[in-house]
Amino acid sequence: MTPGPRGARRLDRYAPPAPARASRRWRNSLRTTVLAGGLAIFTVWTLFPFVWVLETSLKSNRDIFQEVTLVPRHVTLQHYTALFHQSEFLTYFKNSAIVAVSTTVIAMLVGVLAAYAITRLSFRGRAFIGNATIVTYLAPPALLFIPLFQVAYQFHLTDRALGLIPIYLIFSAPFCTWLAITYFRTIPSELEDAALVDGATRLRSLVSIFLPLSLPALAVIALFAFTNAWNEFLFALLLIARDSQKTVPVGLAQFIIGDVFQWGPLMAGALVASLPPVLIYTVAQRWVVAGLASGATKG
Amino acid sequence: MVTVLGTRPLRVAHVRPWKERLLGRDWRMAWLFLAPLVVIIVALIAYPFLSGIVLSLQHKVIGGPATWVGLQNYRDLLFGDQYGATFRKTVWVSLVYTATAVAAKLCLGLCAALLLNEQFRGRSLMRGILFLPWTVPTVVVALTWRWVYDGTPSGLLNLIRIEAFRSHTLVQFLADPHLALWSVIAVVVWQGTPFYTMMFIAGLQAIPAEQYEAAAIDGAGVLQRFRYVLLPGLAATMVITVLLSTIWTANSINFVYVLTRGGPVNATMTFPMLAYEVGIAGARQLGTAAAVSVIFFPLFIVLIYFLTKRMLAPEAQA
Repeated sequence: MTPGPRGARRLDRYAPPAPARASRRWRNSLRTTVLAGGLAIFTVWTLFPFVWVLETSLKSNRDIFQEVTLVPRHVTLQHYTALFHQSEFLTYFKNSAIVAVSTTVIAMLVGVLAAYAITRLSFRGRAFIGNATIVTYLAPPALLFIPLFQVAYQFHLTDRALGLIPIYLIFSAPFCTWLAITYFRTIPSELEDAALVDGATRLRSLVSIFLPLSLPALAVIALFAFTNAWNEFLFALLLIARDSQKTVPVGLAQFIIGDVFQWGPLMAGALVASLPPVLIYTVAQRWVVAGLASGATKG
Repeated sequence: MVTVLGTRPLRVAHVRPWKERLLGRDWRMAWLFLAPLVVIIVALIAYPFLSGIVLSLQHKVIGGPATWVGLQNYRDLLFGDQYGATFRKTVWVSLVYTATAVAAKLCLGLCAALLLNEQFRGRSLMRGILFLPWTVPTVVVALTWRWVYDGTPSGLLNLIRIEAFRSHTLVQFLADPHLALWSVIAVVVWQGTPFYTMMFIAGLQAIPAEQYEAAAIDGAGVLQRFRYVLLPGLAATMVITVLLSTIWTANSINFVYVLTRGGPVNATMTFPMLAYEVGIAGARQLGTAAAVSVIFFPLFIVLIYFLTKRMLAPEAQA
């Protein structure tokens, strides 16, 4: 209910002098306008490509290419049917899942062990290996892709999906190590010292003290590692030619025949390919911000 | 650089065997735990790094034998007839591409973070929405925008021009040499901004509320609080974010690869794309392609050095 003139006048008695009040009201409405306007612009800018993908994936080819309209006249699922029944998309999806999950599991194991050693054990070269981890995590793989291409040939990692796993570990392992370091450092060492005095082994203390305490953090690290591997394109493109071994990002290209783009199935595939990372991030958004705050990530 | 990455429990002093004195108390277990990481770093980063440098001094075609050519590849790139002009163009395009994209992401990311840091209903939903582009695979983003930019009446932007503005011409966003680079940069900014937004939100949350209140009591206006509380408080985060983003933006190949392949007439040829075109596509000259990357090594080594120092600095720790 908006107060009428009388109500407003009654409130006046307790209100600050007129000029200050007017300026505050003006400032409040300015704040609301800027906030709403800014958010509206950002929302449109962010969402319009998604709407366009969804719309294209639901249009018939006639509506896409011949009688083009902004708003689709008919909704059809034909492109999704084509995607799942007339293409190898499910194979790509399976390959992507295997590669991304394996990379994540291995990178987490490597990262947790290394981070424990770097934060909690005393040995010569600790500072050096800590720095080396950050440097390798920061070094962009694309800078090394020509020699890596050659190395992959030497190690026979080409043309099989599983061969991508060691390549993906290049960025996932140092990355998981660095994030795990930032979390392990926040765990007070007294906790572990007590256990060690009681006769627990190092491995035992890692498993029963460190891991339970940093479980939420480790989940976020796993998320980053998984989506990095799921989204990777360059090395999958360079190393894999056989259709049965392709991952989703590369497999999408099969709807491009020469210069002809089959936009219907392509956009349907794009949508399905985005679902795993988008769902994961939407669920875990709050922890992701906290994770970014403590370690930063590849983006 | 000496960095203390953890604390070491106190122990009762006793005479330790010489190995422990030399290598540290827990050296056996430490290197056992570190072994997998060390293998990955050596085999997949240090070795390719060095072999990249060696490769750049050779003439080599994929599958063929390598012959030593000294600095010939570098001479070809910098002054040669075949690559000279293209390479110089590539340096310029990479610079414009990286600088513009990073600057735009910084501005937009800061604006979005300031908006999302305000209190309002539906804030976490808005954060989720503005975060979306960053979660989508880059290839999907690139394909989507290629379709948005499509040069036929079917492409979204041209369709809007025709339907809403009654335009009779088609704009070739990706095929026009004057537009292509800016079109690609817009896509990079679209996907990259949420990373800045999230980093800045995290950074803003770390600024103590008392600082704002103290400034407000002292009579500081919105702009003054921005200038004297917010910017200094966010400086560390900004430096780290910009350095990270500069390294990754400069080295990203996915957008250019899917959108333009470096064309039209090299208008969008960034250096990773050139390395790809020289080494993998067309000529398959691995040596020359390796040289393209190696020329840029020193720049990124400097950036990584500064960033490493920054990330280890105490004020960067959450």
